[in-house]
Amino acid sequence: MQQRRDEILAKKAKLAELKRQRELRATQTNAGRLAAPTSGQKNDRKREIEDMIERLVGDSRPSSIAGAMSPGRRGSRPNSVLSGGELSAAENSEYTSPTNAHPGLAVPAQPQVLTTVPLQTIFECPPSPVKETFSYSKGVQTTDDWTPPASARPRAISELDDDDLNAPTSTPSKRMSRWGRGREEELRQNIRNEIEEELKAARDLVADGVLQSSSVAASNFPARALTSEELAAVTASDEFVDFVERSTKVIERALDMGNEYDILTDYSLQAHDIEDEDEQAGNTGGKGRRRVKEIVQFYDDRWSKKRMISSLDFSPKYPELVLASYTKNPSAPHDPDGIIQVWNQHLHDRPEFLFHAQSDILAAKFSPFHPNLIIGGTYSGQVLLWDTRAKTAPVQKTPLTGSGHSHPVYSVDIVGTQNANNIISVSTDGALCVWSVDMLSQPQESLTLTTPPPNKFEDLAPTTMAFPQADPTYFLVGSEEGPIYPCHRYDRAGAKAGVDSRVSYKGHAAPVVSVDFHPARGPVDLGDLILSSSLDWSVKLWKVRAPAATSTIVESAGTAIPPLLEFVREDVVYDAKWSPVRPGVFALVDGAGSLELWDITVETEIPVAKISPTPGKGGRQLLSKSLNKVAWETTDGKRLATGGIDAVVSLFEVGPDLGGKEAVRNDEWTSVKKLVARLEAISAGVIGVA
Amino acid sequence: MEEALHRLSKKPGVKAWLMLDRTNGAVLKTNGQIATVRPAKSSATANGNSSSSLPTPTGGSFSTDVQTNTNNETLAAQELASLVWSFLSSAGGLIDDIDSEDELKLLRLRTKKQEFVIVPEPKYLLVVIHDTPPA
Repeated sequence: MQQRRDEILAKKAKLAELKRQRELRATQTNAGRLAAPTSGQKNDRKREIEDMIERLVGDSRPSSIAGAMSPGRRGSRPNSVLSGGELSAAENSEYTSPTNAHPGLAVPAQPQVLTTVPLQTIFECPPSPVKETFSYSKGVQTTDDWTPPASARPRAISELDDDDLNAPTSTPSKRMSRWGRGREEELRQNIRNEIEEELKAARDLVADGVLQSSSVAASNFPARALTSEELAAVTASDEFVDFVERSTKVIERALDMGNEYDILTDYSLQAHDIEDEDEQAGNTGGKGRRRVKEIVQFYDDRWSKKRMISSLDFSPKYPELVLASYTKNPSAPHDPDGIIQVWNQHLHDRPEFLFHAQSDILAAKFSPFHPNLIIGGTYSGQVLLWDTRAKTAPVQKTPLTGSGHSHPVYSVDIVGTQNANNIISVSTDGALCVWSVDMLSQPQESLTLTTPPPNKFEDLAPTTMAFPQADPTYFLVGSEEGPIYPCHRYDRAGAKAGVDSRVSYKGHAAPVVSVDFHPARGPVDLGDLILSSSLDWSVKLWKVRAPAATSTIVESAGTAIPPLLEFVREDVVYDAKWSPVRPGVFALVDGAGSLELWDITVETEIPVAKISPTPGKGGRQLLSKSLNKVAWETTDGKRLATGGIDAVVSLFEVGPDLGGKEAVRNDEWTSVKKLVARLEAISAGVIGVA
Repeated sequence: MEEALHRLSKKPGVKAWLMLDRTNGAVLKTNGQIATVRPAKSSATANGNSSSSLPTPTGGSFSTDVQTNTNNETLAAQELASLVWSFLSSAGGLIDDIDSEDELKLLRLRTKKQEFVIVPEPKYLLVVIHDTPPA
């Protein structure tokens, strides 16, 4: 904008200089004419001049005579020389009038006499700043763009358009008189017309150019066939490899989506061909509105082979993306031990992204605060950060020695808010580290978790960790021994940082493998409900004490709180997760390879739906059915992913009574609340009796 | 890379694909039976050596047969490439004319029999020809 204003100023200055010189010249010629009074001479001279002008004008632009006749009406052609000429013509009509008035010089075509004269002097004048507004200076601005070769053509068009659009703003209308405004309108109209003409011409030119080049291409085609060396050079270039990567991804997405639904389907034709979409089609479980249907399975022959899935997470930003982390492939020592594949629901045969790690990845998840970042914890004790904009290697990693973890990290999380969040990791030796996302070279905070006093051993081996929605300073850890301990990150009233020694949740008889807080986004606060799964073949529902409340209750150390409810299964339960939208719904996966969906508002004894993923392509071996992890898609809670020992990620969709935000009724929340109250009463009664 | 291309060829319905240089239209890689999509029209003139230069591969002995076949394939690929390329430049011209800041990203050309999916990138372009789902 500044540059443009400068241009305009410079041009104005030029014009002013021009005007001054012309005035000077006019007086000079007048003086000359007065000095030579012979009319014959005058006529001769006039004819000479006219001839010259005829030649000049004819050469440069034939229509400029007509233009000079009505300088105000004509829109300036976007060419600086010509519009400069016109400009001077407009001015000239005034200055030449005294000459016209001179006796013996009455020729009607007089005004054009001087029109082209200033052309020669334009560029000699040094610019001097004079404030004057000329709307046709717009035409002048495009000059440079109209002269260069054809390659810049489209740019010139766009700039013209811009000028047209900007015209009202670039001329300060306040200073314009009404007449000036009218004139400007007229000019603008003219400019618009001309632009249209130019555009048309340009378009023709473009069309011609394309025709030419394409015909050239067609005719030259065999001649341009590359030699084998050239081909090899091109196909080996990084650029080409990148291109192949990107373009095939796009094509595969296009093809995979095309198979799901044909947008050109004509339902009025061939009605008998449409597949019967009844409830038995495909791999489904549950009935009616509580149906579970397998949508797609992800498996990559190269990378998924002989690995196990250690964690799953849906992208909070792109609900079609799901990440799976894998342990090492024992038969491929040269491949990276740990990998993460990010799968896309619309791209079936290959992962959208692939990330590597030096060691088995045991836990990974998308950062809820940045859609590009993925964090992971490894068997070696490293916490890694990958970026989907970068390559496969982690962009940051924690050190293996010193202040970091030196034991396997089975649980990582990011807590905090959009602007202040931290990575929290816990390893099986009880070390908890808090890291800044920007700097993983050393932990911001660290804490050692130990088993509270009544136990014989101090060592605590956390296998899982869970933060409530509301509080980033309080969390639960599930231990290998079975109890679940509440922990504080900082000292608070009545409790020291670390494991809270007053309360523990005892009920599991085997290592706890998952703890999940209720996501609680509804009319009733259920954020104190947790679900834990364990290798003792059960899932348990607990109500945790609020961290603030624990400090007020005066109780002897080591109060054990029993679970509210137990869901005893027929096999080890590896994972249990609350539905992100339904208050009473949760999903669990077990060692027998089944995914079960429960709704505690409906039934607390048996699952409402049960399904097993379709057996893998490669034929499973014994014990390869076991499912390790389950994850809900969080935005509308309709889809689930499961993964297990056979490294197949299976995606399921649940019916409207198990997922989806639309059909959630308020009474579901209240009935969960009532159930919890009833269970609490029962357990209190049991304790009272005992 | 080879893996990705191999998988692409193995996708159900994919008839052929070819990769071109965006700037000059030179064929970089091809796969599949391009001649079945569009037989080479100029094979008769270009194949001066073989007497039975028609695209029908039944005539002639085995060796020439193979040669005619490969020749036909390359010719067909080149012809198709030039057609695609000129189509792409006119499409690009259209986009450029509407908004010069804009850029062509994907072309899906659906016909009654098949679909062309063209991914134009700044330097190269990929064309995939595949069968449409039966409709």
